[in-house]
Amino acid sequence: MELQHIRNFAIIAHIDHGKSTLADRFIQLCGGLSDREMDEQVLDSMDLERERGITIKAQSVRLDYEARNGEVYRLNLIDTPGHVDFSYEVSRSLTACDGALLVVDASQGVEAQTLAVCYAAVDLGLEVIPVLNKIDLPAADPERVAEEIEEVIGIDCTAAVNVSAKTGEGVVEVLESIVNNLPAPSGDSEKPLKALIMDSWFDNYLGTISLIRVFDGNLVSKQKISMMSTGRSYTAEQIGVFTPKRLTVGELECGEVGYVICGVKDVSGAKVGDTLTSTRNPTAHPLEGFKEIKPRVFAGLYPIIAAEFEAFRGALEKLSLNDSSLHYEPETSAALGFGFRCGFLGMLHMEIVQERLEREYGLELISTAPTVVYEVVTTDGQVITIDNPAKMPDPARILETREPIIEARILVPQNFIGAVMTLCIQKRGSRKAVQYLGRQAMMIFELPLNEVVLDFFDKLKSATKGYASLDYEFIGFRSSDMVKLDVLINGDRVDPLAILVHRDQSQYRARELVKKMRQIIPRQMFDVAIQAAIGARIVARESVKALRKNVTAKCYGGDITRKRKLLEKQKEGKKRMKQIGSVEIPQEAFLAVLKVGE
Amino acid sequence: MRASLPLSLYVHVPWCEKKCPYCDFNSHAQKNPPPENAYIEALMADLDQELPAVRGRRLRSIFIGGGTPSLLSPKSVESIIAGIRARIPATTDMEITLEANPGSSDAGKFEGLRAAGVNRLSIGIQSFNAASLRNIGRIHDDRAARHAVTAAIRAGFDNFNLDLMYALPGQSREMAADDVEQALSFDPPHLSCYQLTIEPNTVFAVRTPRLPGEDAAWQMQRQLESSLEKNGYTNYEVSAFARQGRSCQHNLNYWLFGDYIGIGAGAHSKMTRDDQVLRTWKRKNPILYMQNAHSAERVGGEKRLSSDEICFEFMLNALRLQRPVTASLFQQRTGQPIKRFSSTIAQAQTDGLLQFDGIQISTTEFGRRFLNDLLQRFLPDPDNLISPSPST
Repeated sequence: MELQHIRNFAIIAHIDHGKSTLADRFIQLCGGLSDREMDEQVLDSMDLERERGITIKAQSVRLDYEARNGEVYRLNLIDTPGHVDFSYEVSRSLTACDGALLVVDASQGVEAQTLAVCYAAVDLGLEVIPVLNKIDLPAADPERVAEEIEEVIGIDCTAAVNVSAKTGEGVVEVLESIVNNLPAPSGDSEKPLKALIMDSWFDNYLGTISLIRVFDGNLVSKQKISMMSTGRSYTAEQIGVFTPKRLTVGELECGEVGYVICGVKDVSGAKVGDTLTSTRNPTAHPLEGFKEIKPRVFAGLYPIIAAEFEAFRGALEKLSLNDSSLHYEPETSAALGFGFRCGFLGMLHMEIVQERLEREYGLELISTAPTVVYEVVTTDGQVITIDNPAKMPDPARILETREPIIEARILVPQNFIGAVMTLCIQKRGSRKAVQYLGRQAMMIFELPLNEVVLDFFDKLKSATKGYASLDYEFIGFRSSDMVKLDVLINGDRVDPLAILVHRDQSQYRARELVKKMRQIIPRQMFDVAIQAAIGARIVARESVKALRKNVTAKCYGGDITRKRKLLEKQKEGKKRMKQIGSVEIPQEAFLAVLKVGE
Repeated sequence: MRASLPLSLYVHVPWCEKKCPYCDFNSHAQKNPPPENAYIEALMADLDQELPAVRGRRLRSIFIGGGTPSLLSPKSVESIIAGIRARIPATTDMEITLEANPGSSDAGKFEGLRAAGVNRLSIGIQSFNAASLRNIGRIHDDRAARHAVTAAIRAGFDNFNLDLMYALPGQSREMAADDVEQALSFDPPHLSCYQLTIEPNTVFAVRTPRLPGEDAAWQMQRQLESSLEKNGYTNYEVSAFARQGRSCQHNLNYWLFGDYIGIGAGAHSKMTRDDQVLRTWKRKNPILYMQNAHSAERVGGEKRLSSDEICFEFMLNALRLQRPVTASLFQQRTGQPIKRFSSTIAQAQTDGLLQFDGIQISTTEFGRRFLNDLLQRFLPDPDNLISPSPST
C-alpha cells in the first residue's frame, strides 16, 4: 500500500466519553468483524478492561476503508489507555501516529486528562480532529463543547465532527475526515528498515509479540532483524496485523503498523521503545525511544497461604512479561512471611495488578499499605531510597527526609475553585497558578505525591460533584519532615502496617488510623489493643472488646454434618484473615490507611 | 477391641402438629394422625437390615426423638420398644428416652408411655412464659408447660429432662431467670439450656425476629449457669445440666464417640468396624422412607470418614464434655495416637482453651465459651491440598 493511502491515528478520549464504542463502529463499517463476531467493545479484550471500562494495554486495529472518492485507505487505529496512571503508555502510542481524534462527550465537556494527552499529541506534531460524541443525548450541547475545546485546548473546531457512536450517526463523516484531514505517514521504503517497538507482550503459545510501527523500509517475513539496543539478531518468524483478529501477512510496508514475532525469549529482549532494523542492512540512527518509567507507588504483596509463595512468584513473572511497568522483588515481613515488594505506576495500576493476580492465577493476597518512594539523607552523607516504611533508618541516623512532589493540573468549573483550593491546602499543596478558560478553570498545584496517590482523586471528585478532572506529573523530591507511624497490635509492632506521614499530620492520622482499624478488626476471644506509635511514644490507641462467647447451636441426635459445616464455614471466613500473634486481622485492615477519612 | 464400642439406638419420629419457626430438624407438620402402624413396620424393617453390623453387641440406650414422638400412642411406642428388644439384646439398666411436647401430651399418655417401657422423658418446655412461647411460635402455653411437667412426675417418671431456650425474642434477663426458677421448682433431674439460634431454611431465617443482643445473651447464660450450679446441677456438657447420676446416657454415648444405629426418616448412624468409621443417614422424606424401608434404598447417603475426619469428629464431640477424656480413649475410638494433634493442642493450651497433662484432656471454662473457635482448630486442613495452579 502506498503511503498516501495509509493513516495512523489514535483516539484521545476520557473514560466513558465513547472511545471504545466509536472504535467498534469503525471496525463494523470497515468489515473487520462480522456482526456475529462483534462482541461489544472488542478493543478492551481483558475481562478487567471491560468491567472497568478502561483500556490498560495499547492495541492496534487495521481498518481497510473505501472512501467516498472510491479509493481504499488503510487506517491503523492505535488504541491508548485513558487513565492517568498509564499516561506514559499514551505518549508511546502517540509516537506511532500521525494524527488523532479528540473525542469529547458533547454532554460533559473537556476533562483534564484529555487535555494533557491532547497537548502531548500537539507537542508531537500530530494533527487533531475534534469529534463531539453522544449527540443523541438530550443533554448534548455540541456548540458549547466545541467552544470549550477552542477556549481550553485552543484547537480550531470549525471542522469538528458531530457523532453518536451509539446510533452510528456521523461515523462515516469521521472516517472521511481522517482520510481528508490527517496526514499520511512520511518515510522512505527504499531506506534500511527502521521500526519502533510500541509494546511487547507475552503470549503463552506464540511467545513474545511486539507491536511495531515501520518508519522506513519494509519488513518481510523470515527477514533477519536486529534490536538496536542489544545488537541481538532474530528472524521475523511471523508478521501480521490485527483486524482486530490476528491476521498473518507477508510484509509490513513503510508507514504501517502491525506485529512481529521473532523468537525473543522474554519481553525484556524486545524492549518497548527500542528500534528494530535489518541485520544485513542496518539503519545508522535509531529512533528516539521512550523515557523509562519508574514506579511511584510501592506495596508489599503476600500470599495469605504461605505455601502459595512459589505460585505467586510464577504469577508475577508471567504478569510482568506483559506489564513492563510492574516491578517486584522478594521481601520478608515478620508479620506476613514471604512476599514481594511491588512497584506500581499508581493506585489504579496496583488494584489492577492485584485483581489480575487473584483472578487469573487463583491467588489470595494481602497487600500492605501502599507507599510512595522517599529519599533519606543519612548522617554519613548517603542518599537512600525508601520504598518500604519498615526500612526507614533510625531517626538518629537521618539528616534529611525528602518526599516526591508532583505538579497537578486540575480542570474544574469555576464555581468549585474554592472547594478544590481547600482540598489541596489540606493535602499540603501549594498553588502555582489558576488559569481561567471559559467557564472552566485550570488550577495548577504542587502536591506531595503521598497525599495524591491514596484517595485524592476520590476526594476531588466528591468535592466537585464529579466535575473536576486531574492530571499530574512528577517534578522532583523535596525536603519534608516525615515520621514513621507504627501500628502495634496487642503490643506487637506490625511492620506491614507502618506508614510514613508528615509530622504535622501524624497525630490526626494516628487517631484516624486506629479508629478505622477498630472498625475493621472483628471481636475475638480476648481484647485487642490497637496502638499507633511514633518511635517509642504511643500517640493513639483504641481497643476491640473481646467477644463474650460463641453460640453453640443444638446438636441433634448424632447428625454431626451440620455442626461440621458450620465450623468449616466459620473457619473459611477466618482464612481471609492473617494471624498476627494471636490476633486475626482481616485483609482490609492493611489498607485501612487508605480509608482514613477527612 | 473395637467390637466393644458402646452401642445406642436412635429412633426418629418425623412428625409434629406444627413446625416451629426456628426448627431446622427433619420434622413435618401433620394435621391428620400420622400413619403409625405403617411407620412402625418401616422402622422394624429398617432395623432388621442393620442387625448384621451389630451382632453380638448390647444396646445401652434408646432415644426416641423427633419431631414429636409423643404424638404416637403409648401402644405404638410399646411395640417399637418391644420390637427393638426382640432384635437386639440390651443391658439391664438400658435408658429409654422419649421426647414429649407439652402441646401433644396428657397425663394419661405419660402413664401409658411409662408402662410401654419409656424410663426417661425429655420435655420440650422451652419456656414457662406465655409471651416467650408465643414469640417462638410454640403451640403450647405456659399452663400446658407446667401441666406437662406435673403430669410426668405424677406418671412416675423420676428421670426426666426439661428443654429450655434463652435469648428469645422479647425476652428480658428477668424473664430468662424466671424460666429457670420455674423449671427448678419441679426439681428436674436434668436440664438442657440452649440459646435460640437462627438456622438457615427456617421461617426465622426469612423473617428474623429481634433478638436480645450478644451481651444480654451472655448475661442470661451466666445467670442460668450459676443458678443451676447453686442448685446442685453439674454442667456436664455444653448445654446439659444434671443431678448426680442423671446425665443422659444416650447423649454421653455421642459425646464419647460410641456407635449408634439410627432408624427412621433422616436418622443418622455411626458404626465403627476394623478402624473404619461409616456414617449413614436414612432418607429424610417420611413417605419415601417408608416406601423404601425394606431395601437399601432407605439409605439417603453414607460417608466413610478419613482418619483426619475421625480424629476431628472425636474432638468435636468429646470436647463438649466437662469431664476430661483420656488420651487412651482417643486412641481406642479413633485408632490414632493423640500425638497427631500435639501442636494444635499445645497452641490451644497456650491460648487457655484446653488443658492436657499427657493423660487427660479437657476443655477449660474459657474454651467452652469459645468452643467453635476451639473445635475449628481440629478441622482437617483443606490448605494441605495442592494449591491451585495458575490458569493461563
